Amino acid sequence: MQIQEHGQQAQVDEDLRASLRETAELRIALDEHAIVAITDPRGKITYVNDRFCSISKYSREELLGQDHRIINSGHHPKAFFKDLWTTIIDGRVWRGEIRNRAKDGTHYWVATTIVPFLDDQGRPHQFVAIRTDITEAKRAGAAAAHLAALVESSDDAIVGKDLLGIVTSWNRAAENLFGYGAKEMVGQPITRVIPADRRDEEARILGAIGRGETVRNFETVRQRKDGSLIDVSVTISAVRDHAGRIVGASKVVRDITERKKAEATIRQLNASLELRVEERTAQLAAANRELEAFSYSVSHDLRAPLRAADGFSQALLEDFGPLLPEEARRYLRTIRISTQRMGALIDDLLAFSRLSRLEVSRQMVDQGELIEAVLDELGRPWKDRSIDITLGKLPSSSCDPALLRQVWLNLVGNALKYTRKRERAEIEIGCLRTGGVDAFFVRDNGAGFDMRYAEKLFGVFQRMHRAEDYEGMGIGLAIVRRIVDRHGGRVWAEAAVDRGATFFFTLEGGAPA
Amino acid sequence: MIAPKSAEILLVEDDPQDVELTLRALKKAKLFNPIHVARDGEEALDYLFCEGAHSERRASDEPSLVLLDLKLPKVDGLSVRRRIKGDGRTREIPVVVLTSSGEQSDVVSSYSLGVNSYIVKPVNFERFYEAVREIGLYWLLLNQPPKPGP
Repeated sequence: MQIQEHGQQAQVDEDLRASLRETAELRIALDEHAIVAITDPRGKITYVNDRFCSISKYSREELLGQDHRIINSGHHPKAFFKDLWTTIIDGRVWRGEIRNRAKDGTHYWVATTIVPFLDDQGRPHQFVAIRTDITEAKRAGAAAAHLAALVESSDDAIVGKDLLGIVTSWNRAAENLFGYGAKEMVGQPITRVIPADRRDEEARILGAIGRGETVRNFETVRQRKDGSLIDVSVTISAVRDHAGRIVGASKVVRDITERKKAEATIRQLNASLELRVEERTAQLAAANRELEAFSYSVSHDLRAPLRAADGFSQALLEDFGPLLPEEARRYLRTIRISTQRMGALIDDLLAFSRLSRLEVSRQMVDQGELIEAVLDELGRPWKDRSIDITLGKLPSSSCDPALLRQVWLNLVGNALKYTRKRERAEIEIGCLRTGGVDAFFVRDNGAGFDMRYAEKLFGVFQRMHRAEDYEGMGIGLAIVRRIVDRHGGRVWAEAAVDRGATFFFTLEGGAPA
Repeated sequence: MIAPKSAEILLVEDDPQDVELTLRALKKAKLFNPIHVARDGEEALDYLFCEGAHSERRASDEPSLVLLDLKLPKVDGLSVRRRIKGDGRTREIPVVVLTSSGEQSDVVSSYSLGVNSYIVKPVNFERFYEAVREIGLYWLLLNQPPKPGP
């Protein structure tokens, strides 16, 4: 019996050892996989495995005796934990996902199962919590949800399709744009929204996608569910699987109906603007023709009576001169001088009006060369006068050479004229860089003028001096201004009575004040 | 300076003062050629082509020089010029345009029609006289049209 007893005891021992070994092995496997903690009925931690320590970054000593508030992230509401406690105290298993905070402040997600173990009275005497780290899965899920939300909330219609052109996804904007719901379109051919006369586009698009190409901002027309047509801009790119194989296409469709409308409006506006410009040009041409006819008539009809007045005064002098007293002959000569002056005024006025009709044909002109020719034309070296010409360096500039020659002739001619009473005339010709543009100038030490009359200076037939002092029609500076105007430049003068004058001009905009 | 008797000048001019001054200038230049005055373009054409009032005129007695104003009543000077150049009977007659107009367009259209000379009538009578004298000298005396051989 003893032996048998002994034998039974050995069997029990054997079974116990086996059971203990099995439990130990299960536990090793469990520790390998899961985060394990045991708490007492009051919630104090009585056991943690290595995984619990490593994920929470607390040492075992720091954890034992604490409750779970040590790793509470604050993410879940109080009711969440209240529900957890109610469940396990009630002796039921609780399952859920908890976001915890590690010692270093980082957060981690665990899928948690808490099993309450009851004592003989049926009260829980400890809770075993087994957790799995799901932080990565949570993160990936959140990213995927974020992407899905992005696609869903996009203002552009985003459509997925396979290589046969069958719709695989259809976001809300696509629903709004095309009028078809996702349920109606997913699984259907995309050609449903392509107008009949554009069906061939789809084959070409699929061909391009099959070759791995991206179709960008392809502007075309699509058809809504209600049959209406919309202008769209489509960008289509290949979608690849993990192995890099093209499995379909994503299609971003933007409604450009409004833009197209705006473009059409702009085109229309441009066309009407062009029409108005044409009309204005025609009006201008008509006005120019009228002006030309007017000038023609002036040149013919105003000169004829002058010619008669001059011709018959001369005839009177020739045929009856000896019979007239000297006083009468002087009157006749005065009549002739006046008529000739009137003739010259008419000629100047015509030349001036012709200036505004002339085409300005710009080319690069060496102003230095031009001024040399002008000085020669004005009679250099003026043997009967003492004249100092200081010639600065003049840059080349873009202008009409014939018109600029006239400008220089008038300005230098004036300088010569108004220095006539000087013992030694000093004339400086040069160029300043001012306000970002070249300002040419002609300076003299002549009669000058009162700056109070500077405004009148460039008007037609405005004179600053009495005819006895300096001859002239008063048209030279008016011609200068008109030529400079026609070049888009500016002309101005600085002077003082009897202390000379300086005339400046530019041949482009942006002249200084 | 005596021009051949037959060397007639046709003066086409509507302004009576200009007619008188031109005649005076010609006389002063000692150009004593017979001068016929036509007062508008139509009359000038009738005279040249022996039509209308001039149907009695013999076409063989064509003028040796036409002094032509551009701005004329009825048919203007450039049209007269065109008719002269466009007709075999009158093509050889030198035409000198005498006008007040210095407008570029007139100058260009005159030369494009083969006008022989172009004189802008100056206000100053002496210069007008000089111009008329030179024209007369050149076209009546120096620039004799080819004559049939003896």
